[in-house]
Order: sequence, then structure tokens, then C-alpha cells
Amino acid sequence: MMIIEVEHLMKDFMVAKRETGLLGAMKSLVKREHIKKEAVKDISFSIEEGEMVGYIGPNGAGKSTTIKMLTGILVPSSGKVKVNGIVPYENRQKNAKNIGVVFGQRTQLWWDLPTIESFELLKEIYQVSNKRYKENMDTFTEILGLDEFLNTPVRQLSLGQRMRADIAASLLHDPPILFLDEPTIGLDVVAKEKMRTFIKEINNERKITVILTTHDMEDIEKLCERMILIDHGQKVYDGEMAVVKEKFGKNRILIVDLEESSHRLKVTGGEVFKEESSRFWIRFNRDAVSASELIAQITKTHNIKDLTVEEPEIESIISRIYQEGYQNLPETVKV
Amino acid sequence: MFRFRLYWTFTKKAFLRSAVYRFDVWSRLGSNLIFLLMWGSIWTALYAGREEAGGVSFEAMLTYIVVSQFLTGVNGAGTPLWDIQEKVRTGDISLELMRPFDVPLRYLFADFGSVAFYILTALLPLYTVLFIFMDLTLPDSWQTWVLFIISAFIGFLIRYCIEMSFGLLSFFLVETGGIVDIFYFAMSLLSGSVIPLWFFPGWLEKMALYLPFQGIYYIPNAIFIGEISGSAILLSLGIQLFWVGVCYLLLRLVWNRASHKVVVQGG
Ligand SMILES: Nc1ncnc2c1ncn2[C@@H]1O[C@H](COP(=O)(O)OP(=O)(O)O)[C@@H](O)[C@H]1O
Ligand SMILES: [Mg+2]
Repeated sequence: MMIIEVEHLMKDFMVAKRETGLLGAMKSLVKREHIKKEAVKDISFSIEEGEMVGYIGPNGAGKSTTIKMLTGILVPSSGKVKVNGIVPYENRQKNAKNIGVVFGQRTQLWWDLPTIESFELLKEIYQVSNKRYKENMDTFTEILGLDEFLNTPVRQLSLGQRMRADIAASLLHDPPILFLDEPTIGLDVVAKEKMRTFIKEINNERKITVILTTHDMEDIEKLCERMILIDHGQKVYDGEMAVVKEKFGKNRILIVDLEESSHRLKVTGGEVFKEESSRFWIRFNRDAVSASELIAQITKTHNIKDLTVEEPEIESIISRIYQEGYQNLPETVKV
Repeated sequence: MFRFRLYWTFTKKAFLRSAVYRFDVWSRLGSNLIFLLMWGSIWTALYAGREEAGGVSFEAMLTYIVVSQFLTGVNGAGTPLWDIQEKVRTGDISLELMRPFDVPLRYLFADFGSVAFYILTALLPLYTVLFIFMDLTLPDSWQTWVLFIISAFIGFLIRYCIEMSFGLLSFFLVETGGIVDIFYFAMSLLSGSVIPLWFFPGWLEKMALYLPFQGIYYIPNAIFIGEISGSAILLSLGIQLFWVGVCYLLLRLVWNRASHKVVVQGG
């Protein structure tokens, strides 16, 4: 069953045009001119129950706008949205019970209450039974370590703690669907990792459908099998992560440590793009030359102490997609 | 369906939250007391030793001011105008649209909690002492006490609807200084909170009597000191009920426009 269906979704904002100069300022006092800003342009996708989908794009691409339409706090300019069979903006409160939402940039907890009070409030708001509330709290406390700050007011929490509290809060009422808008933004490496483990676990164990927006490529790489890539409000790719990697990820990086330092290194078929004393980074195209050929070449003139081959970061793949245009994209796998 | 338990939870949490901000309670009580002293001395000077002015005894006038200051404390313990504006600006209120509850009602019930805390811990003790040690006029029947409490409660609701509506106007205005000025002018002068309506020049009194603000301070105060009595009390309560109805509709209208703006223009 398709739990989320989006068809030809559009959202325009009317933005007041900024007039410059004194004359402009006078003019805008009388009549403001507005220009139309197309934040989301004709996006369609559908998501199956239990999927975890990365909704990716650079800043301003229209990710949050899409999520807001899925939650019902924004009405589409045109197109259709259905979340668990409900049109969100027509039935905002009913939709609210089916979804959990986390906005990374802002908390939805009550700012000056101790964290636990927010949870208790949410329990009433969503009419969670005592038994279920206790079960969920126990689970979340165990995985997310909530107990270290349950009695601290939200405004005193560190960003990582706040994010953990926020995601636990969004799941208290057992929503079948979870929207995460930049859930790892601003977190340090350890906190990010904790967050990812948790997201993965609830998706696996509770079969919660997750849409995750981010511009952190590591999030996607670690969490999502499917990604929807958007840019300037339009969908440019929708399909398996693996396919993108296959098509665009032909570059590999060979890192070699040589016995002797300060040697210049030249290899045909590869490009040395970084060096540090006796360590060299060589980029090569997997289809044109194999790693073993390169290594053979190097061993002719140098002694290799150690070596590794790295896959390309998804980040560089995405930036290549942007650079080379979308026509080179593999066929959309899922529509 | 009205989910009383849900809104009641907001009341309880707001009560607890106030307990966290004890310093806030004391500082507000302090400024309340300072204003009481100020208005008390101003009116003492204005009466200049006379037993009565405008048909109202000095003792009754002083009582009016004390009760008014008490009610100012009650009304001031709710979510203030600037806080509502701030919540609009930061988008906190827009995000609450995502929740399965009614936003204006949720704030009202939260205000019940903070107000209850402030009354119990600060206002009642202070004003009980004041009433014991000062020569003030107390209502002579328990009925008057009850009618006063009802009237003060309706006044609180009128004030809430107006303050919330004014705060929500921030959704539509970039600059809200003018709005704030009008609000505080009406709240302090037209409501009769510091000068009873009977001292107003004719035209101003007439104007005040045709506006909702008198229902916040003037009517309950006047009931308390017996300036409004007998069947006139019921008429005044009727006027208050009329205004609370109108102000509630105004609040609903502003809120509908505001949430419409949020969902169309993104707040
Ligand atoms: N309420 C709004 N009014 C006007 N423009 C907006 C509004 N919200 C978003 N936009 C614009 O729409 C575009 C998409 O924004 P957004 O969905 O927040 O992007 P993302 O989350 O992908 O960074 C941006 O250009 C942004 O400036
Ligand atoms: Mg965003």
C-alpha cells in the first residue's frame, strides 16, 4: 500500500518585492509589488509503508516546503497530497495523529518546562494510554539516554540532547509515519551517529515510514536505500541509492603510503590530487583502469608500505550530478 | 468535542511552570504594590481631605483603586501581548497548528494555570493583609461577593480575547508599535482601571460605555464598592456577557485569518 502519495504538487509563495532607494520606499508604502516564488514545482512521488526515503537537495530546494505540505500546515497551490489516506490540509488534526514531525532547526517541546513535562503534555494531547506511554518512554530512554536530562528545562539542553528529546517526543503517540527535516543539523559526529542508529532502529523494528530531508550526505548513505533528489523545487532523481552510486560513483580513490618520503609520484590513468609527506591520494576511474594496475605501476618505482581504496563520497556524486546536468541521470527507478 | 482533560493539562503545566519562575512572581508583585501606592497617593491628594467627590466617598474610591490593582495583577499574569507577538514572530504559534488542539483555547487554559498560581501565592496573601489593615469598603452581602467574582471572571475573558486578538495582528503587520500603544491606552484608561468612568468628561464616559474595556475593570470594581447595585448589577453583567461574546467572535475571526495566512503564505 502506498502510504504517501504526492501528485503534481506545487507551492508558490508571493514575496513582496524589495524596492530600492527613497522613491522605492515611498512607492512600497502605497502599493507593494509581489513576485511569485515557486518553491515546489510539479513534484510527484509515492512512498510505500515501511520505506525510509532520503529527500535531498541543496539549501532552498524546497524540502521543508514539501514536508510542511505533508503535515498540513501549508496548503499546496495545486496538485494532490495524501498521507495515510488523508488530505493533510483538509484534515490537519486527524493527520496530526498519524505523523510524527521533527524540525531540526527548532524544537517543538515547551521551551521553559522540564523535558519530562513536555512528554506528559504530549501524552494528553495525543491521548496516549498510561501503559503505552510507559513502554515508549522506557524504550526511548534506553536507546536515547533521555534520563540524563529529563528534569532539565528544554532551553538548557545541548543541541544533541534537544534533538534526542524532540525525536522521542515525535514518536510518543506511535505514528505510522515520521517526517524528519534536517534531524542531524548542527550535531557533532557522535551525536549524529546516535541519531542515525535510532532512526534506523525505529524504521526496522516499528516499521515506521520515514521521510528524511537533509543535505548531509552521510545521513543518506547510512540510512536510505531510496533517495529523491530535488533542486530548485523540481525532482531530478528518484530511485535507489545504489544505482546513483553505480552510475556516478565510478571514481575511486587510492591512498598509498610509501616507504620513502618526499618522492614525487606520477601514475598514468590516475590523478594525484593530494599529498602529505609519504602519503598520496590518487583519483582514478574504475572503468578505465583497475586499482591493481595502478598499484603495479607504482611498485615498479617505489616501495608501498600500506594502501587503501576508497569509494567516492555521495557528496561528490551529488555535486557531479548538479554539475553535469540531469540528462545523464539513470532512469528513474520508482515513480 | 471539547477535550477538557487536554486543556486542563495545559492549566496544570502552566501552574507548575509559574512555580519555576518564582522571581518573576515576586518582581511582578513588587511593581503591582508600587503602582498601588502611587495611585493610592494620587487619589488621596485629589480628594484633598474631602469626605466625598462626585458622590463617591473617599473610602469607596480607595477601595476601587485597591480592587482595580488586584485585578490588574490577575490580568497581568496571563500571556502578555509582547509574548504573543514574539510567538508569532518566531513561528511557535504557526507550528502549533500541527497539533490536535485549538490554539486560542490552549493559551486560555494555560493562562488559567499561571493566573491561579499568582493569585494563590502572591495576590491573595498581599491583598488580604491590605484589606485587614486599611479602611476599605467591603461588600455587605455574600451575593455581592459572588457577583463580583463572576463579573471579574467575565472581565478576564474579555481582556484575554482582546489581548490575544491584538497579539495575533502581528501576523499581518510588520510594525506593531501603534497596535501596542492603542492596546495599552484602552487597557489603562478606557477600562476605568485607574480613573473610574464617573470622573470622565461626558463625551469620554459615553465613549467608554460603548466599548468593551469597561467590562474588564470598571464593572467589577463598581460592583465591589456598591456603585453598581441591585438590578443594575444584572444589567452590567448582561453588558459584559454581550462584550465577551463579541470579543470572542473577534478573536475567532482574527485567528481564522491568521491560520489561513499561515497555511497559504507560510506564516
Ligand atoms: N513563507 C515563505 N515565503 C516566501 N518564500 C518562502 C517561504 N518559505 C520558503 N520560501 C522559499 O521557498 C524556497 C524553498 O524553501 P525551503 O522549502 O525552506 O527549502 P529547503 O528546506 O530545501 O532548504 C526557498 O527559496 C525559500 O526562500
Ligand atoms: Mg529546510
